[in-house]
Amino acid sequence: MSAVNVNVDVHHLTRVEGHGNIVIDVKNGDLIKCEWQIVEAPRFFEAFLRGRPYTEASHITSRICGICSVGHATASLRATENALQVEVSEQTELLRKLLFHGEMIDSHVLHVYMLVAPDFFGAGSVLPLAASHPEVVMRALRIKKLSGDLCAMIAGRHTHPIAMTVGGFNHLPTVKELLAMRERLVAAREDMDETIALLKTLPWPQFERETEYVSLQKDDEYAFIDGRIATTDGFTYELSEYRKVTNEYLVPHSTAKWSKHNRDTYMVGALARFNNNYAQLHPRAKAAAEELGMAPIVTNSFLNSAAQAIEMVHCVEDGIRIIDELVDRGIEEEPLYQFQGKGGEGVGSCDVPRGILFHNYVIDDNGLIQSANCVIPTNQNHANIEADMRALLPQVLDQPQDKIRHTMEMLVRAYDPCISCSTHLLDVEFV
Amino acid sequence: MVGDVGTRHASRVHQNRPSNDSPGPSGGTRVIGLGNLMRGDDGVGVRVTQMLMSRDLPDGVQVVDGSTRGLGLVSLMEGWQRVILVDAADVGQAPGCFVRFTPQEAQLLGQDQHLSAHEAGLRDALLLANALNLLPEEIVIYGVQPASLDWEDRLSPQVEATVPVLVGSILDELQANAADHSASSAHPSTLAKE
Repeated sequence: MSAVNVNVDVHHLTRVEGHGNIVIDVKNGDLIKCEWQIVEAPRFFEAFLRGRPYTEASHITSRICGICSVGHATASLRATENALQVEVSEQTELLRKLLFHGEMIDSHVLHVYMLVAPDFFGAGSVLPLAASHPEVVMRALRIKKLSGDLCAMIAGRHTHPIAMTVGGFNHLPTVKELLAMRERLVAAREDMDETIALLKTLPWPQFERETEYVSLQKDDEYAFIDGRIATTDGFTYELSEYRKVTNEYLVPHSTAKWSKHNRDTYMVGALARFNNNYAQLHPRAKAAAEELGMAPIVTNSFLNSAAQAIEMVHCVEDGIRIIDELVDRGIEEEPLYQFQGKGGEGVGSCDVPRGILFHNYVIDDNGLIQSANCVIPTNQNHANIEADMRALLPQVLDQPQDKIRHTMEMLVRAYDPCISCSTHLLDVEFV
Repeated sequence: MVGDVGTRHASRVHQNRPSNDSPGPSGGTRVIGLGNLMRGDDGVGVRVTQMLMSRDLPDGVQVVDGSTRGLGLVSLMEGWQRVILVDAADVGQAPGCFVRFTPQEAQLLGQDQHLSAHEAGLRDALLLANALNLLPEEIVIYGVQPASLDWEDRLSPQVEATVPVLVGSILDELQANAADHSASSAHPSTLAKE
């Protein structure tokens, strides 16, 4: 071991959402450096919001992330509604949950199939996978189309949820649309079964590291919107106490903020929700977990991707249930909220695909946002990612450098990190 | 250089035609604007679609905001005969200029197998759709040269000024396509003979 030298320097890790570097330096078996470096450009959303009317907040923040636009919009609306003491109807709650399920499936299927699966198939990306296993990629696209259409049906648009507004929706799906979507969700069970069957065959890396798992929690459902903050170390907090959990701080090698709670690090995301809220999963999702050999508390971070697949099963099933409830109740036009001339402070929280998200606004009596704070899930995971890297490194140090690099990349990708919504500039070279 | 370089002085003809909000995907044209409105000129594609949505469009045309859909763009394109994509692009022109081109003209469907979701934009989605034989019959791309991609919720003055010109060009193209389509469907027997 003492002669081992490893130098891994992955700049701009591929197949993650944003820019992050993995830097590992081992000399004569001694660990000199093992860092997860974030090179995120500073974000200005909090500054964007200052001075804006509260009605714009959800539309602005839904642009933070093209993948989690519903999640940001929902957290934003809940923060605003809590600040202005707006009650939302049962119909609005149901529609928001259904929409949220759509986005959860949309994000998870992208991650599991397009970003994680290529590692297991020995493919550098989903492109060679599309050539070698077209049926796998076509299934992913089929699921993605279903979830995208579900989002568009409720939110009014494929990517940005324009129909969502403070207190409710300014556009409602028809019963006919809901029933057509129900049929498609029922048909998607086959693709869900195939997804679990596929994941069962994958050689998941063996790795265990205990940490604290943090998520939303409710007694009567698998929590994605509202509830309380719960951790596997036994802590619970009201949403308004979120700063007691996030405790953001800065490290020299990252432009993003990091977080810690009871331990030096904690983890958020699908695995955290699975570990905290297994009891509230739909029976079919529990069966999927059993199929994959997973029962809480799972401490292998690589299995975050498997937990995402289990959540996809849950969202399909709960989506069917919600549609049944909506159809039974009938869809009704509801009056939209009118500002009452009194501001306040509110916290909104959702457990979005990558983990627990907080929005916190102060709104003045003119309906203008005076201050805003937004804590995103990936920032809460940074410290845990680096701690996992440090724990995993000794286990793989005897392997070739390329293999070490690849394993570390897989570990980071398992978190589905979203480091920043980078631009997507097309670089054109004409022939 | 291939493609037509547009300028702010490009002429356009705007004809009023009845709109159709919900055409079936087969045989129709979908216009998809891409980008992030919070990243300065990166949002130009979305701004163009927003303006197009307020205009009268020919039958069979649908405009959608593709934003930062990444690989989800494959699903947005699937099943449409013709797709017009609008995106910020480094097309080697002055900021605000735009170029109309096809994927073939820009070598976007080459052999490069390196695909990363953090940059999953237009090129990656086209590559994936191509690999799965899901590409629409006809793809046209309007690439707009950005001036700034900083965190800003507005376009640069150069690109802002281009938006109505670009919208005019796209409307012209949609009208021309609609005219071609109605001409061909009006004389099926002639076409059959040829």
